Parts: sequence; C-alpha cells; structure tokens
Amino acid sequence: MGRDLKLENLTKRYGHLTAVDHVDLEIQEGEFICFLGPSGCGKTTVLRMITGFETVTEGKVIFDNRVINDLIPKKREFGIVFQSYALFPNMTVEENIAFGLKMRKMPKKVIAERVDVMLDLIGLSGWRRLYPAQLSGGQQQRVALVRALAPDPQVLLLDEPLSALDAKIRLRLRAEIKRLQQELKKTMIHVTHDQEEALSIADRVVVMEGGQFRQVGRPIDIYKNPTCSFVADFVGTSNFFKGSRTGDVVDIRKRKIKVKKNGAGVEEAVSLAIRPENVEVFKKEAPPRVDEPMNLVSGRIEVVVFQGAAVRLLINIDGEEVIADINEKEFGQRSLKRGDEIYLYFPPEAFLVFADGEGKK
Amino acid sequence: MNPIEPSGKRFSTWFSADNLFTGVIMAFLLVILAVFLLYPVVDICRLSFFKDGAFSLHNYLDYFSEPRIFRSFYNSMFVSTVTMVITTVLAFLFAYGLTRTTMPGKGFFYTVSTLPLIAPTIIQALALILLFGRNGVITRYLLDTSWNIYGATGIIVGEILYCFPNALFILYTTLSAVDTRLDEAAQSLGASALKTFFKVTLPSAKYGIASAAALTFNLTITDFGIPVVIGGDYSVLATEIVNKVFGLQRFDLGATISVILLVPSITAFAINYYLTRKSYAMISGQARPFIQPSRPLKKWAFTAYSALICACILLVFITVFLGSFVKTWPYDFSLTLKHFDFPSLGASVPLWTAFWNSVLEPGTFRTMIAIKYAPIWTSLLVSLVVAVVGASITLVAAYIIEKKKPRGEQLLYALSVLPAAIPGVVLGLGYVLAFNKPYFLIYGTIWIIIINVVIANFTLGVLSGTANLKQIDKSVEEAAVSLGAGPVTTFTRIVFPLSKVAFLSTTTFYFMRAMTTISAVLFLVSAQIKLAAIEIIFLDVDGRTASANAMCTVVVLIVALFLIVMRITTGSSGFTGMSASK
Repeated sequence: MGRDLKLENLTKRYGHLTAVDHVDLEIQEGEFICFLGPSGCGKTTVLRMITGFETVTEGKVIFDNRVINDLIPKKREFGIVFQSYALFPNMTVEENIAFGLKMRKMPKKVIAERVDVMLDLIGLSGWRRLYPAQLSGGQQQRVALVRALAPDPQVLLLDEPLSALDAKIRLRLRAEIKRLQQELKKTMIHVTHDQEEALSIADRVVVMEGGQFRQVGRPIDIYKNPTCSFVADFVGTSNFFKGSRTGDVVDIRKRKIKVKKNGAGVEEAVSLAIRPENVEVFKKEAPPRVDEPMNLVSGRIEVVVFQGAAVRLLINIDGEEVIADINEKEFGQRSLKRGDEIYLYFPPEAFLVFADGEGKK
Repeated sequence: MNPIEPSGKRFSTWFSADNLFTGVIMAFLLVILAVFLLYPVVDICRLSFFKDGAFSLHNYLDYFSEPRIFRSFYNSMFVSTVTMVITTVLAFLFAYGLTRTTMPGKGFFYTVSTLPLIAPTIIQALALILLFGRNGVITRYLLDTSWNIYGATGIIVGEILYCFPNALFILYTTLSAVDTRLDEAAQSLGASALKTFFKVTLPSAKYGIASAAALTFNLTITDFGIPVVIGGDYSVLATEIVNKVFGLQRFDLGATISVILLVPSITAFAINYYLTRKSYAMISGQARPFIQPSRPLKKWAFTAYSALICACILLVFITVFLGSFVKTWPYDFSLTLKHFDFPSLGASVPLWTAFWNSVLEPGTFRTMIAIKYAPIWTSLLVSLVVAVVGASITLVAAYIIEKKKPRGEQLLYALSVLPAAIPGVVLGLGYVLAFNKPYFLIYGTIWIIIINVVIANFTLGVLSGTANLKQIDKSVEEAAVSLGAGPVTTFTRIVFPLSKVAFLSTTTFYFMRAMTTISAVLFLVSAQIKLAAIEIIFLDVDGRTASANAMCTVVVLIVALFLIVMRITTGSSGFTGMSASK
C-alpha cells in the first residue's frame, strides 16, 4: 500500500453551522480525486482541512498512516494551487517557482535545474524573467501549478484552479492538468463546482451537498447511475417527475408511466429522472411503434436551442416542460421546428427512480 | 492497521512557530501600548480624581466654580465649533470643484492645498501675526488700524488654514467615490442642477461631510501651537493645561483640564471614526465615468474659488519665509540672514557636535551650525528614528490585526486606534506624570520623545497598514506557507515587499509629524534636549518673532527636502509588476 490519504468521520463546525458533516473517504496514492458541489457545500472546507489551513472539529485526516490533524501546513508538504493564482507579485516567474525549493534549502544548482524542468513542463521557458502581472491568467495559473509541483509534494491540492479563467483557456489547462497528473502519477485533489470539469478530469468524483458526500464514484457511474436525485440534477441535466409508485407503474398526477420493474408492490412517493438525451421525439404524423404505449405522450415544441452537435428542445406537455436532446443530424432529417406537435417517448429502462426523502427536489 | 496518533495531542499546533511568532509580537505590542499609552492616560485620570490619596471631585469643583478658568472650556468649544463649520463648507466646495467640475489646474490646486501638512501648526499663527498682528503689514502698514487679529479670530482663521487639508482629504475621497452617474441620472429625470446638488450630491456625501466636520473639531480643540502664539489672553483648554503646569506647577489642575479636554476630543474622534467607516461602506467601487464638461460660469467660479484658497495657503508660507529674511518687519524690508543666526539655544547633541566639528573649520559658522542649530539636528535625528521605528511597528501591528487575527486582536486594534483620540498635550503631560521617575532611565533622553511621537501617531500608521494589507490576497500568504516558508520568511519575503508603498508613505508621515509636532513633546523637551518645532514657540514667546519665522522656515525646508528625496528614491525603485496579480 502506498501513501494513502484517508478522511475519517471528518467534521467542521463554525458555531452552530456544520460546514462538513462526518465524511469518510480513502484516496489512493496517485489517484485523481475531484470534489464537486454547488458553492457552500463544504468542498473547499474539506480541502482546507487537508491542507491544514482549517482546523478539524471532529474526526481525522490520515496520511501515510499517520494522523496529521495537528500538523501545521508547512510540515504537511502538500502543494496547493489557488483559484486566484496567488503568485508572488514581487517575484519573477522563476523566482516564484524556485521559492519552495529555496525554503527547503536545496543547493543552488539543483534549484536551477528543477526550475528549468518545471518551465519546460508548461512551455514557458521564455517567460522566466517576467513578473506575474505581465502574464495572462492562463499563464499565471500554469506557473502556479508548477510552483506547487516544484518541491515534489506528496499530494497536490487544487482549489478551483480554473474558475477564474476564460472558457477556452479553461479547457486547455484542464487537459494540461490531466496530462501532468498522468505523467507524474501524483495524488491530486481537485475542487470545483463545474460538473463537466469534474467528470472529464477525475479518476473518482465526490459529489457534495450540505456538507455531506452524496455520491463517490467513477465519472461514468456518477453520470449514468446517480444514487440520489440531487446528483441526478446537479450532474448533467435531468427531467424530473414526482409521483407515487406501485410496482413498475408510477402515477404522476395526470398520467401513468411505466418504469423498469423494481421493488415491491407497496405504494411509495418517488421522483423520476430521465436524461434529455434519453427522451425520444417523433413527428405527430409518424407515430412510432413502442413497447410501452403508456410512455408515449404528445406535446408541442416551444423552444429550439441549437447547441452544436446536439439540439435541445423544450417541449410542452399539458403545461409541463420537458427537455429533450436529439442530435443535430436527426433533427434535420425529421425536419422538426418550433410549434410542431410531436410525440415523446420515455423508454422505461431510461428512468432513474428515487424514493422521496432520500434527496430533495 | 490503526493509524499512528501523534504523541502529546495538539502539542505541535500549540508550539508551532507561527503561533509563537504571533503571540510574541502581540504581547510586545500590547505591553508597549499599555505602558506608553494607557498608563500615562490612567495616571492623569488618577491625579485628577484623587486628592491626598482619597477619591475626590475637588479639582473638578474648583474648575467649574471658577468662571475665569471655566472660560477656557467655553472658548475651546466656541473656537472649535466655528472652525468646524467654516472649514467643512470651504473644504467641501473645494473638493466639489476638484471632483465634479472640469476646471483647469486640479493637480496644482490639490498639491497646494496639502501644503499645511508639512509645517508645524504655528506657521499659520506666525503668518497671521505678520499680516494682521500689532505690527502686521496689513493692519499697521496698509490700513494703519489699531484692530488686530489676536484672540478668537486669529485662532479660528489659523485653525481653518491648518485643518483645511485634513477635511479636504476626507471630502475628496467621499466625493470621488460617490458615483457621479447618480447626478446624471437625476438630471436626466428632469432635476435642475441646483436640485440635483441638494437632493443627490449632498445626501450621498453626508457621512463624509459629518466625518470631516468631526475631524476638524477634534484637530482644533486639541491644537496647542496656534492658540499659544496668536491667542493672546484668549485661553483655550490646551493652553490652559500648559499654563497650569508650567506657570503654576499645578499638575493636578493640568490633569483635571486634560480629562475635561478628553471628553469632547474622544467624542469627536469616535464620531469621525464611526462615520468614516460608514462612508467607505458607500463606496461603489465602480470606475468613475467621464465628468461632463461644466458650464463656463460654474467652471470659472470654481477655478477662482480654488485659486483664492490656494493663494491664502501660499500666502502663509510666503509670509513666514519673507518674515525670516527681512530686517525689521514691517518697517525695513531689506534682506538679511541674521535671523538664521539663532540666539544661543544652549543645548547640544554630542553626536552631532562631533560630526560638525569634524567637517567644519573652527569659527563662528561652526559654532552656529554645531551649537546654535542643535535643536534642528536633534529634531532631524528624532524624526529619522521615528520614521523608521514608527512605520515598522505600525506595519507589524497592522499585519497582526489584519492577517493573523489572534485572540485579543480587537483589544490590540482598539489600543492602536486610540492615540488619535488623545490630545498631544494630554499624552505629553501623562508622560511627565508617569515616567518622571528616577528609575525610569529613558526619561529626559531623546528616546522618550521618540516613543511619544511613535505612540501619538500610531493610529494613522495602523489604519493605512491595514487598508493596504486588506488588498493582499490571503492565498498569497497561504501559498508561501504551503511551499514551506515560516512566519518570518513569509513576512519579510512576501508581505513586506507587497506593503512597501504603504510602508514608505507611513515613513514619510511619521517624519513629517516628528519634525512638526508641538503639543505632544512640549512637556518632554528640556535644557539638554531641544526640538526645532518647540523652539519656534520659545523664540516667539521671547519676542524673537523673526527668529521664530526663520526656525519655522528651516523646519519646512527640511520636511520638503525629505519629501523630494522620498519621491525620487521610491519613484525609481518601484518595480514592474507590483500592481497585484489579479
């Protein structure tokens, strides 16, 4: 076993407010973990307890089989990348990168070599004598990234490192972080509120809400098999229906819908979720033959949003709005347009069923 | 396998270098402020409330039952109130001209209006006497009238000229911060220019106006230099304290009046402080849009007004400069340098004397420079030390308060802000009472003066320090710590370089204060230790008005020279890329 990082029953309270509520997690050496959640969910607080800048109210942070709760940040030797870059404005790019090495009292020659390696890593060798204010946001964050990596930290913690950047640069830098992680095989913990970023970059994603971990798993599992309605809603887009279930039939006020056979025949309140890409759309003139006619409903296209490869349709069924995504080619072939009367089909197996009370919404 | 728990729980946190660093500095600052700020003030209160070891209001009954003495309270309140109203109005109009019109010469006007800050407060009084005094060039020479400016009028005019830049600074900040688009919005909705001014501009600046007024009141009621020179028989609280102590050796009465003076001065300070925070909360932070061109009448009216104010301020300086170079004001205007050959002032600073003896040939010139100029050299030495020590200690205090926020941080903050509320005369008297003891070895040396000036001006240093440190992103420090820097390294390598501009401006401020302050150190000078600013008063009291002018000129020139040197050196050392990382 390597130098794993373990959170045990970790809790942070500020007075009466519980920011982080008894969470547990094991992070393997070399793993890329992403904490994902809306603002105020406690993800940054977890990160700050790992860094040591926030004290632990209850529970343990364990690294390399040692409890490090009371270890000061300096002693943890974890690298940190901040949302605001936090480069030292009074130092040049190379002085910034060399700072951590100097603090470890490394010989001058070693420092110089290491700085060169780091600059090569991000392709900014020509910029070494510039001051941070002379660089673009993306360049600054790349410098901040290798400044944190230069002393070869045991763990690299990234606190929303891409949030302050433009959309294009964000994508480039995201790929670069992933590449660095794969090359260096370093444990990285990344905090973000951007679900797309989390899903694309991490080995495992931790979805947080209200100070608790809602789901921990591989990106694909988080997306395909959310375990609660919060995750289904926060990660990706979902259409939600509330109703009561008896066996495989759910009564949602105006109609009944068939779902995958699951559970007993007891009546219970549930939420149904279905991803827009799983909703099928047909022209009124060409009704499809379907397995479950119960799940075929008629509606009208209200809004058409072109999104590049996909087209998003906002469809009105009896006053309720449903989102359906179909790919652009299909959209063209079926010559759909705003105002068209259409049929919608919800395949039973595409529904996620959540018992109400387990998650909100 | 169970994880290893560190032995001795919380040990490592408690004794981390960081907490130790903060704790030691915090304790040091608290001790310094307790000993050199609280203790003297408490001593004054004790002396005023106790007679022969028993609590008694005897001193206060004495004070309030003697109408002749009680007058000083009334006089102080009167002079301060009138000064407050006039200064606030004048400064507001000036600030309005600078921020809301397109008048020409704004930079020049602003610079001139800040000039009073570089001179001892007596300069206004000296100038007014030269112009309107018994032998004033205007009263005697031009108008040949027996009217003169001594008394309340002189104090009020002098204080207005002295307080003007202080009030202006607050109002200028307020008016430039309030969004001018509000005015434009009002006008686009059909309000007349006058209505816009009274319904929008004025209300949006109300906190700034009230805060400037309170500050002016506080500055006037605590000032000693102007009333002592131009007040004549018109006694105010600050001069009364000095009279009681120097004239009658009645420390108890001096202490009593001090406590009475503390009431309005602390009140005015508290109001000013509270309102300043409120007014800064109103700052929108939006970029100031283009000011629409003013109508010609408005533009020229404000230009004429600003020019008039600046002329008055310049006249003060020109008059005193002239007064120090002419033979016999106002009868003989031929030029001379004889007033710069000060009467033997009797004190010497061994260090400086040795220095001048080594560089100058023996003779009358060397005697003059080495012996007669001794107070100037002492002042210079004191000011340089004060500048470095004051700026450093307030920056460290600001750092602890703003960034470390340890337990008791609010106490430290309260004590750091308090000095501005304590009149210099009161603090000075407190020092005599508290430290004039044989075992207190630094009493009677320049060190007690240095400490006094550093403490008396602590507030501004700390406030400008915290304001600057607020702008440094917290993560920059955390980045340093996460890369392995200890608290000392973080401070010296990151925080200090980023605070350099604020540090240098505090250095300049402290130097100016140390060179020009009168009231705080009045009680601390002695036959051995003399200061230039104090000598101006003594020369004036001795009837050597021309020499007083000359001494004042020297002080002003030294401060001006220091400002120029600072401007040049810091201008060239400012490094590129300093303007934060955002």
